[in-house]
Amino acid sequence: MTESETEARAAAPVPKAPGRRVGPLTRTDFVRYAGAGGDFNPIHHDETFARAAGYPSVFGHGLLTAGILGGYVADWLGRGNLRRFSVRYVGQVWPGDTLTLSGEVLRSESGPDGATEVEVGLTVHSEAGGDAPRLVLRGGATAVYASSAAGGRP
Amino acid sequence: MVDRTALIGHAYPPYSFPVEHGKVREFALAVKAGDPVYLDVEEARSAGYANLPVPPTFSAVTAHWAVRDGEDVLGLNLRRVLAGGAEWEYLGDVVVGDVLTVRSRIADVLDKSGSRGPMTLIVTEHEFVNQREETVMRVRSTVIELGEQ
Repeated sequence: MTESETEARAAAPVPKAPGRRVGPLTRTDFVRYAGAGGDFNPIHHDETFARAAGYPSVFGHGLLTAGILGGYVADWLGRGNLRRFSVRYVGQVWPGDTLTLSGEVLRSESGPDGATEVEVGLTVHSEAGGDAPRLVLRGGATAVYASSAAGGRP
Repeated sequence: MVDRTALIGHAYPPYSFPVEHGKVREFALAVKAGDPVYLDVEEARSAGYANLPVPPTFSAVTAHWAVRDGEDVLGLNLRRVLAGGAEWEYLGDVVVGDVLTVRSRIADVLDKSGSRGPMTLIVTEHEFVNQREETVMRVRSTVIELGEQ
């Protein structure tokens, strides 16, 4: 690491986003989420129903992927600093998929009160069977830091 | 397709939902949240919370509590339904022991045409108020119903 990189990192209000892989996800993960979250649309657990609807198999709840990403962004930005979190689903998650979570800082601004607001972009890609990663979710989050100290839990 | 634009502004009956220890743990495990703050009260207290805080998307569990009285306002065909997205706004902490009152309304209904043909987007807004009358969270979620093939 060069000296200038050290300085840039020290000045950044949040650490670089960690990489995280989750999976491979199973039908059991979908059923567990259905029970925890309360979404019993059979398209997520009933293979017969899913095939009749034209899908090759059941697929994961969007909110399961969003929930996994929510835990990740809370760990990264500090859950107490989180002000907004948003997700848009762009592809399905199938049994056997492994999720790759990533994030990047898009904007960082300090207000007159000394608080720093950080906006980040988030993506979830799905990998299966050696295929190229496929984007399944695009999201974003905003976190606010009362002072220049940031990262970790409050 | 069914015209649902008349549903814009429809308010669902408000309901209360208690934030329970077991449910927070169950939800955190289901979304594979590794932070012990969701699982262990001592960890939560040393992080400054009175009890286990909820994971960021915990609002999803309100589906277990919503009172719909058998009323199915939207009449969605589940074979053609996809989740579109959601947005959470966090205004205060939510921890185990809180009792939240949830008010939901249909904010928008949009008919669109996409690569998969005609579709209807239904946007619902939810407001969460705790036992101290503090609004702690707002959620906006979008559900898509694809047109008949």
